[in-house]
Amino acid sequence: MSPQAILITAFAGAGLVFLAGKVHSHLRDFLAVLSSLALVGLIAWSHGQYGPDNEIVYVPDFLGMELALRLNPLAWFFAIYIAIINAASVVFSLSYMKGKEKLGFYYSMMLLVNAGMLGIVLSGDFLSFYIFWEIMSWSTYLLISYRRGPALHAGMKYIIMSLVGSCAMLVGILSLYAQFGTLQIAELGEAIAGSSSGYVLFILMAMGIAFGVKFAILPLHTWMPDAHSEAVSPFSAVLSGVLVRMGMYGFLLVMYSIVGLKTILNLGAGFFNFHYILSWLGAITIVIPTFIALLQNDAKKLLAWHGIGQGGYMILGMAFGTSLGVAGGIFHTINHGSYIALLFLVVGAVEYRTGGVRDLNRLGGLIQRMPVAFFGCLVGIMGLIGMPLTNGFVSKWFIYKTLITEGHPFLAFMAFVGTWGTILSVYKLLHNMFLGQLPEKYKEVRKAPISMQIPILFFCFVIFLFGVLPGIPLRAIQGIQDTMGFAPLQLTMWGLASGAGALNMLNICFAIVIAFAVVLLLMRLGAKPRRVPQEDSYAAGSSVPAGKYHHSVEFYNPLYQMISPYLKDRVDQFYYWAADKAQGVFELTRRIYTGYAGTYVLYIISFLALLIFLQLAWEIW
Amino acid sequence: MVSPILLIAVPLGLAFAIPVLGLASKRVPRYVPVIAMLFNLVVSVSLLPHALKAPIVVRTAGWAPPYSIHLVAGPLGVLLSSLIALIGLLVAVYGIDYIREGAKVKYQILYILMLVGATGVVLTGDIFNLFVFFEVLCISSYALVAYRGDSTGVEAGAKYLIQGAIGSGLVLIGIGLVYGTFGTLTMADIAANVSSVGSFRLFVSLAFLITGFGVEAAIFPLNGWLPDAHSSAPSSISAILSGIAIKAGLYAIARVVYTVYGASSILPFLAVLGIVTLLIGEMCAFGQEDIKRLLAFSSIGQMGLILFALALASATGISGAVFLIVSHGLAKALLFLASGYMIYRTGSRDISSLNGIGKRMPIMSLCFTVGAFSLIGLPPFVGFASKFTIVRAVLGTGSTFFITLLAIGLIGTVIEGAYFLRIVQGFYFKPAPEDSPEQTEGKVPFSALVPVGLLAVLILTIGLFPGIVGRVLGPAADDLLDRTAYVQHVMGD
Amino acid sequence: MSFLSSYIHYIGCFSLILIGLYVVLVKPNLIKVIIGINLMGTGVNLFLVTVGYIHAGTAPIFSEAAQQPEGMVDPVPQALVLTAIVIGVAVLALALSLAIRVYDHYGTLDLRKIKALRW
Repeated sequence: MSPQAILITAFAGAGLVFLAGKVHSHLRDFLAVLSSLALVGLIAWSHGQYGPDNEIVYVPDFLGMELALRLNPLAWFFAIYIAIINAASVVFSLSYMKGKEKLGFYYSMMLLVNAGMLGIVLSGDFLSFYIFWEIMSWSTYLLISYRRGPALHAGMKYIIMSLVGSCAMLVGILSLYAQFGTLQIAELGEAIAGSSSGYVLFILMAMGIAFGVKFAILPLHTWMPDAHSEAVSPFSAVLSGVLVRMGMYGFLLVMYSIVGLKTILNLGAGFFNFHYILSWLGAITIVIPTFIALLQNDAKKLLAWHGIGQGGYMILGMAFGTSLGVAGGIFHTINHGSYIALLFLVVGAVEYRTGGVRDLNRLGGLIQRMPVAFFGCLVGIMGLIGMPLTNGFVSKWFIYKTLITEGHPFLAFMAFVGTWGTILSVYKLLHNMFLGQLPEKYKEVRKAPISMQIPILFFCFVIFLFGVLPGIPLRAIQGIQDTMGFAPLQLTMWGLASGAGALNMLNICFAIVIAFAVVLLLMRLGAKPRRVPQEDSYAAGSSVPAGKYHHSVEFYNPLYQMISPYLKDRVDQFYYWAADKAQGVFELTRRIYTGYAGTYVLYIISFLALLIFLQLAWEIW
Repeated sequence: MVSPILLIAVPLGLAFAIPVLGLASKRVPRYVPVIAMLFNLVVSVSLLPHALKAPIVVRTAGWAPPYSIHLVAGPLGVLLSSLIALIGLLVAVYGIDYIREGAKVKYQILYILMLVGATGVVLTGDIFNLFVFFEVLCISSYALVAYRGDSTGVEAGAKYLIQGAIGSGLVLIGIGLVYGTFGTLTMADIAANVSSVGSFRLFVSLAFLITGFGVEAAIFPLNGWLPDAHSSAPSSISAILSGIAIKAGLYAIARVVYTVYGASSILPFLAVLGIVTLLIGEMCAFGQEDIKRLLAFSSIGQMGLILFALALASATGISGAVFLIVSHGLAKALLFLASGYMIYRTGSRDISSLNGIGKRMPIMSLCFTVGAFSLIGLPPFVGFASKFTIVRAVLGTGSTFFITLLAIGLIGTVIEGAYFLRIVQGFYFKPAPEDSPEQTEGKVPFSALVPVGLLAVLILTIGLFPGIVGRVLGPAADDLLDRTAYVQHVMGD
Repeated sequence: MSFLSSYIHYIGCFSLILIGLYVVLVKPNLIKVIIGINLMGTGVNLFLVTVGYIHAGTAPIFSEAAQQPEGMVDPVPQALVLTAIVIGVAVLALALSLAIRVYDHYGTLDLRKIKALRW
């Protein structure tokens, strides 16, 4: 299947859904699901049909350049990942969004974001890349704003940062064009080989700002907590699962497909080596946001901060340019997509059933009411922490191994610290939503509807599948690495056969099964457990009436008191301060236009005088 | 091939026929501008292929230049006259129902005169003739700004007139100096002799011309009139003023600086001026609460960007500037036209009162959004293609000076994005104000939907296939840059 | 002396222009501003005529007395001035009618008080 067909389906789907929304709501829902699933099918079908021959020029003469599409392993891998998460979110939306207004707009924008992202990964040149990037940016902005109220503020914050990034990227791209006369990705790789390291660094910086904003690397992250928590949950899943990771795609493309491995590793000297600085940025991006996540009481904000933090792992993996590390980075990207999307969907399901509550202080004890959601949450946090049997374990393993073999114990330590913070904070998420006592008002909460359960269970399946059989995605990742010139890894279906990151999930599985069996056996041997109702609680030996339950409020309060002074988001504060000052300056500037005609005439005369004075003083002509 | 002179003669004749036609039927005059502009559009577009081959020089009364007043319809001139006719036509259609009160007949006459003035400015080859057409444009726009006779309208009109009159006085002094030096008014003839004259004397005349035309071109700090005039005029007139009239001023500057004087060393100064204008415009627009005033300030910003691109002195730079003239003309006309009926509907020009209008006027708001996105420069709309061309031109020059200016200018784009997107958010995602009066007269007639919708479609189509306009841009840029060819074409061998 | 006599026309018309500009800049009264504009316009027109002036020249009309173009003043600026005067009259008329409307609305002609539109 050609990339052209994929893109046409994607954009046509978005348009048709919008029109269908005007006709009938069922037709609209049907078309939305159909087109998102069709995309998954199309992309899956086009697996393996790569090659330079697949470069397709779809607009021949756009301002004197060619707009081209291409399909290669990197593009395919990201495309399928985008399409699956988006399809799951669309299915989830069916019940989550039911009865809300402007659904035609909502679904078509979901599909448009999807189409934009597919366009990005399928672009064969940087101009198309930029165009699709921008389409993705503004449609995202519209979708974030969809929920109104505070979402408007979040949307503005997002789009302004995004515009700054786009401007930087535009300068970078066009400087490439000015230098080499082409924007075709395939040709740029060869063209750039001979340029000076200063120039390469400039390109990386310019692009890095754009990708960094999307990727939410510190200090460009401040839009993300707001946007993720204010967007509707299915879109948060897309936002955090894939959209943010377009930055990762961009980094991979620029760093390894274009600039090339050798140049990257030799950029700079000593401590000021490019990949060294990038990896430190990654490490900081892990630690600080993860602990900020610990302090959050809004379930989605908590997840959003984790989204930033997990990005740090990907950067860490990718920055060193070893086969193992880059494989870990790419693998972590899709793993993160699967479990963060899962967790956002779970929070969305809870939100849906409890009437929009996502404040962790007001939830609790939903385990029996929403068992599937609980299971999803459990699997999701296991993946997020990186427990064995989940896919997060494998990718984190690769990344840790890379850090240690490359001789960066301190970075590895920071990554571990990040994981501890993750464990603490996701336990808070799980506990405050599902464990503990059930508040009186949630007695009547029902299970999540089936269209929510399907995506949740699907992601659980993926997490375990890739956790036990990491060979499946790793083989695709190897295809990408081949095109970038990395040494091949010794892959097996169960992990890595040999080398630095040797791993056999079969053995681990086996060990875990035995451990489970032992525990199960011990439990069977012990006294017979007695089932009690959830409300049957005792304190100090006496039964506690339901109205007196102590629900878990202000989890980690002592810790909070201790660390919160250090974890203020000063970057965000700085941006607000700067925006405030800028507005003050704007207000002052407006006073130029005094409203008195005499002043304006004075301006005209002074301008004339200035021109003549300049000529007298400097002979400008 | 029809003579380009018809582009001026026919609408002019129709304009003065309006009072007579008005005697026959009261409804006829409102359709006359539509006919006139339709004629102009057809003629301009049919002239375009000829003009691309070689500029068409029209001699009046059989005298060869430099003794005659003549028209030079080069690629740039014909492109701009097509743009004027296109926007003029759409706004004329819009005006059929939009203009409801006051002296309707006089409005239609002045409307045609204004467009004839603009067409004349871009087509003429004689510097005094340029001034005359310029005055036709200016005087009719003074009157049209104050046309409704309300307090803000007359105030804006009076202030506009004061500044405009000073500006044209300066232009006239400049022309006098030029004539005193060269003894000719033909631009090509001046261009041929310009190198033979000492620099300071020449520079003074150039300074007068730049300042004078700069008043109409809304270059900072000569633009004190613009926010008042553009915001107080009826929306159809604001659309023309922002979409066309200020571009005519800028065209005059470009023509004088490039073709007539060949003053390339003054260009860095103009580039700085452009960026300053851009920043000031965007900064002032940011805090506005009046939608039309905001659009007016945004026009100032865009004019700054066009001036900056013009000052690049490279073919790509100038084609970027011309492209931005086209894209800004379309987008700004669309924004003013759409906001016109929104203001009728809500009865207020406050941006906050437009909140939630997306529900009440879905098509108008959608088109407004398209226009706003295009102005910010988001793909796939035409604004992106034009801004892209400009950025490419800047990086193509490879000069640190221009790249630094561009980096500063991009801040302006971000500010622009901020305020436009805030408005769009308000349209769709903010609740309508509680006390908004439900104005029944706000029902959007067909005659308004068609031009607004057509503009939105044009913005999207050219954005997707910029080649439609793109192939004219190169010759248009050469038209401005290549002095010797211009002189040869006009003067003969 | 010779300087003054040969440049007196220029000095005269630029004085007029400067007086006009001064009035526009300094006087807040709308009517006075319009008078200033008109003074400036007159100065500019004079300047244009002066450009084409030849000392002791004759009118540019071929007649029995003057068969050759030598010694005639340049006719082109005079044609320009005619146009400029017409334009000036139009602007003046429009300006005065606007001034009447402004007075109707604001009850004053003081431009310092007519500042509904600013910032």
